[in-house]
Amino acid sequence: MHPFTYTRAATSEQAVRALAAAGPGARLLAGGTTLYDLMKLGVERPSHVIDINAVQELSGFDTSGPRELVFGGLSRMSDVAADRRLVEGYPALSEALWRAASQQLRNMASLGGNLLQRTRCPYFRGGAPFACNKREPGSGCDAIGGIDRGHALLGGSRSCIATYPGDFAVALVAFDGEIDVLGPNGARSLPVEQLHRDPGDTPHVETSLRPDEVITRIRVPATRAGRASTYHKIRDRESYAFALASAAVGLEMDGDVVRQARIALGGVATRPWRAREAEEMLRGRRLTGRAAEEAGRIAMRDAQPGSHNEFRIELARRTVADALTIAAGRA
Amino acid sequence: MPDGKYPSTPRVDAWDKVRGAAIYAADDARPRMLHGALAVAAVNRGQIVSLDVERARAAPGVRLVLTHQDMQGVQSAGFLLGGGFAFQSFQPMLSPAIHYRGQPIALVVADTVEAAQHAASLVAATYAVEPFQLSLDAPAQDIVAQHGSPLPQATYADKVAGDADGAYAAAAVKVDATYLSPPQHPNPLELLSTVAEWRDGTLIVKEGSQNSGAVRHGLARQLGLDPARVQVLSPQAGGAFGQKNSHQSHTVLAAVAARRLDAPVKLVVSRSQGFHGASFRPASRHRVRLGADRAGRIAAAIHEADQQTSRHDLFPASFTEMTARLYGIRNFRGHERMVRTDVQTPGYMRAPFEHPAGFAFESAMDELAYALDMDPVALRLANDTTVDPLTGRPLSSRHLAECLRRGAERFGWARRSMAPASMVERDGTAIGWGVACGAHKAAASPAAARLEAFADGRIRLAVAGHEMGQGIRTALANVLARRLSVDPRTIEIIVGDTRAADQHLTAGSWGTASATPAADAAGERLIQALRSLDPGYSGGAPAEVLRRAGRASVAVEVATKAPGQPDAVFQRLQGGLPAVQGPEFPDFVSMSYAAHFAEVRVEPRTRRVRVPRIVTVVDCGRVVSPRTAESQVRGAAIWGLGSALREISETDGRYGGFVNADLAEYVVPVHADVPEIDVGFIDEPDPRLNALGVKGLGEVAMTGVAAALANAVHHATGLRIRELPIRLDQLLAAPAARPT
Ligand SMILES: Cc1cc2nc3c(=O)[nH]c(=O)nc-3n(C[C@H](O)[C@H](O)[C@H](O)COP(=O)(O)OP(=O)(O)OC[C@H]3O[C@@H](n4cnc5c(N)ncnc54)[C@H](O)[C@@H]3O)c2cc1C
Ligand code: SF4
Repeated sequence: MHPFTYTRAATSEQAVRALAAAGPGARLLAGGTTLYDLMKLGVERPSHVIDINAVQELSGFDTSGPRELVFGGLSRMSDVAADRRLVEGYPALSEALWRAASQQLRNMASLGGNLLQRTRCPYFRGGAPFACNKREPGSGCDAIGGIDRGHALLGGSRSCIATYPGDFAVALVAFDGEIDVLGPNGARSLPVEQLHRDPGDTPHVETSLRPDEVITRIRVPATRAGRASTYHKIRDRESYAFALASAAVGLEMDGDVVRQARIALGGVATRPWRAREAEEMLRGRRLTGRAAEEAGRIAMRDAQPGSHNEFRIELARRTVADALTIAAGRA
Repeated sequence: MPDGKYPSTPRVDAWDKVRGAAIYAADDARPRMLHGALAVAAVNRGQIVSLDVERARAAPGVRLVLTHQDMQGVQSAGFLLGGGFAFQSFQPMLSPAIHYRGQPIALVVADTVEAAQHAASLVAATYAVEPFQLSLDAPAQDIVAQHGSPLPQATYADKVAGDADGAYAAAAVKVDATYLSPPQHPNPLELLSTVAEWRDGTLIVKEGSQNSGAVRHGLARQLGLDPARVQVLSPQAGGAFGQKNSHQSHTVLAAVAARRLDAPVKLVVSRSQGFHGASFRPASRHRVRLGADRAGRIAAAIHEADQQTSRHDLFPASFTEMTARLYGIRNFRGHERMVRTDVQTPGYMRAPFEHPAGFAFESAMDELAYALDMDPVALRLANDTTVDPLTGRPLSSRHLAECLRRGAERFGWARRSMAPASMVERDGTAIGWGVACGAHKAAASPAAARLEAFADGRIRLAVAGHEMGQGIRTALANVLARRLSVDPRTIEIIVGDTRAADQHLTAGSWGTASATPAADAAGERLIQALRSLDPGYSGGAPAEVLRRAGRASVAVEVATKAPGQPDAVFQRLQGGLPAVQGPEFPDFVSMSYAAHFAEVRVEPRTRRVRVPRIVTVVDCGRVVSPRTAESQVRGAAIWGLGSALREISETDGRYGGFVNADLAEYVVPVHADVPEIDVGFIDEPDPRLNALGVKGLGEVAMTGVAAALANAVHHATGLRIRELPIRLDQLLAAPAARPT
């Protein structure tokens, strides 16, 4: 680990000021489960760390409101995952949390930090001797032509094919979640779908957040599709693994006819991936097994396989189909 | 003489373990302790051209940086299989040569572990790189047949009985298939860690090991010391699994640094460095041919295998030593080759040969059962034997058929329908039931034991043996408690301590069969000694006798060895060298056996494989510690599941080394993966091997698990997957694995 200085912020404003003052080498510290991990690997080398764990207004959450669910940026994954109203009214959001990481990690990890977790690409995490445009812009991408079993099938570029690994953001994107952020120029909001960027030629620029902004809240509009929802996650083992393919699905049904479907894919794309064409196709259709499978095919229509990840195209199709079936069972 | 089944006593160190009172090497934390961190090579083969350690030296808290330029006079400890002590002949940092990525190039020692790690990251090297190769499909000059090689031919020559090729050609029903097993890493939870310190010219090393004797003598050779000036303490290893079975590459670095700095130095090798700094399960490829008559009598088996070794050592395989003996197949030919690759030398990860060989051979047996349209259990029962096919000698004991019968009963095998994909749940989930067997040599080594009874009630046993979590202390306590008729909790057991007894490698499932007979013999000797003090003594707490005789203590020493071993083996024991006999003994051959039954469920759409239950029945001779034995079998089932469905160390041909070198990306089973595991023991003693009738357990319990699961996957889906691990990659890649 490289030496760094450390301060604690008591308020969001203090955190923003400290970020601005310390410049681009500064990082906020929430649960530390991503940040410390990458610091120990030498991938993150902040010069200054600002601990926000004492910022009261960032913690806590409220799922009782009629119009929206509100989560503080610092609320812990395990607390939110266990919330009864979420478990019953929005199982996709709860499952996306408790199917992530391990209980110990979820006890530490915050929702804000969760959204900003970084890719598991081994060439990114491994450091030297691997070339990685995300870690070292312009150095190349060793995943292309390398071990790309876990890499993105959707959204990749010639510069980077890293998968966005998180689960919760996928569920948020399916449910049109938004984040509130605070920066030196005040507060603003943006859809979670606009938080993560396509890699393009600048894979090191991962989000549309500015370096001196703090995620204060995550908001999800209340919807009937919450109840008939699931976060279906297929991985290399039954727990404590990132998705090979996942699907967040929410349905509003009229009997067995789909009024509105929400589908987002995880584990297969460079960012949380909303599958709008598949949603459109399902609108007004009976949700048969056939229709569910067709939705999966449409969702993965643009998939570009590499050397070792082609099986995940078929897997993702079937994961979407299973997710639709599970969600429909909850309608 | 006490006999009969042993009671299921609690693990003697369970209480210490859950309280954190069991002390491992890296738990040693003292003032003045310094901390080491390794800088490692970024290239896979070549020479260091320049090594810049100035920034590291100047970093805060740094006391010392060692490179190959600071190691004058240090020797290689020699390769375990070449008369030496180390897992490989190559000792890093004695020259600028780089043999594998991740090889240590510098040791930084600092006041704190953070300072050391930071400084290690500042070490900069440039290299002259050389081409390397990692594949089993190597150029001819990189392939060495074991037969006719410089390796001891008594062990490594081809295994031949009868005329396998002739009998195969003539057979009515044949199977010919090739199976692949990937490199895997054992990842004991306890990282490789060493605390080295010098006291009055004596080097004292704490390190979790299965072979403290080799660490001791390896260090003595490396540093030119009298072995009497090196002591190694390894009271527990936090898992070892064969990776800690010999002298490691990092240990001498800590010893040299401690000498330079005149302070204790702790060196913990990080998880990812451990993927490169110590041995692993090499990749192997197996071609198995079986020829049978239509009634299922197997006339011929041919098992040819290639296994990865390093460029600097010939690490041989013993696949066919097991497969030749699994059934009564009269015509057998086994042929093994080593393929040189540019890696650290691989080693003996749990069931090192038996697990991959078992996967291959027992998958082929299942293929044969389907070719014959014969129940896979019935096929195995039809090929039982009481004679060792390779030597013609009798088997000292063999209850494999009984393992199969009891296992089938417990599992409900009779309800299985033979056709693949014929057992389906209402929701479309496919059910698969598979069976496979395993065998493992039953071997033993010499052992020295010292048993001491004190007037204050304590009893202390010091014996050759290591506690890696398998429960050797509990087994020893049980045996001795029965012999002396005392409470096992009154016995203090010292293992893995070169100060207390000469230490032999504890591996190959011979630990219990070597240490417990020594403990038992020591107990008998102690009874005699107590009788000389009190002729009426007939067991029970020795303290009474000692107090009456006015003695503070009485001590006895014994040395035991395997049947047929010459007395010269005791010199090898004293010299820290392996001296193992088995499975062949002068008058018989000894093997342990297991039968495994596994159920898988395959989801209809995603084809996700889940394992609800495994039944294992083992013939390991007398079970001297039922509780820890059961836990060995459970662990073996779980690891077999991991190996069959999860674990692979990924290599990148452009870089060498291993890419998924951490516990997030190297996928071992977690609790949610663990099935219901039903364990049965035959528990029949094998008195020809030793007086207690103990054979081996730790490895046979894992042998065949992967095949049982692969066979179950075939039964569920019709897909015959011949490459481990079996993952969605293959299950969904229809063209590569169409239903058969
Ligand atoms: C072994 C392992 C397995 C895992 N498995 C999964 C999994 O299966 N699925 C999954 O989704 N995740 C998984 N994770 C990731 C885990 O969920 C994240 O590490 C965690 O959510 C990050 O939260 P944190 O509070 O610890 O963030 P930190 O590590 O504290 O911060 C992460 C980043 O976010 C920034 N940050 C934190 N809070 C804010 C804020 N409020 N505003 C602006 N920036 C902020 C930090 O500066 C830092 O750059 C796994 C992690 C590990 C280590
Ligand atoms: S995929 Fe992206 S993160 Fe991975 S090596 Fe390429 S550039 Fe780096």
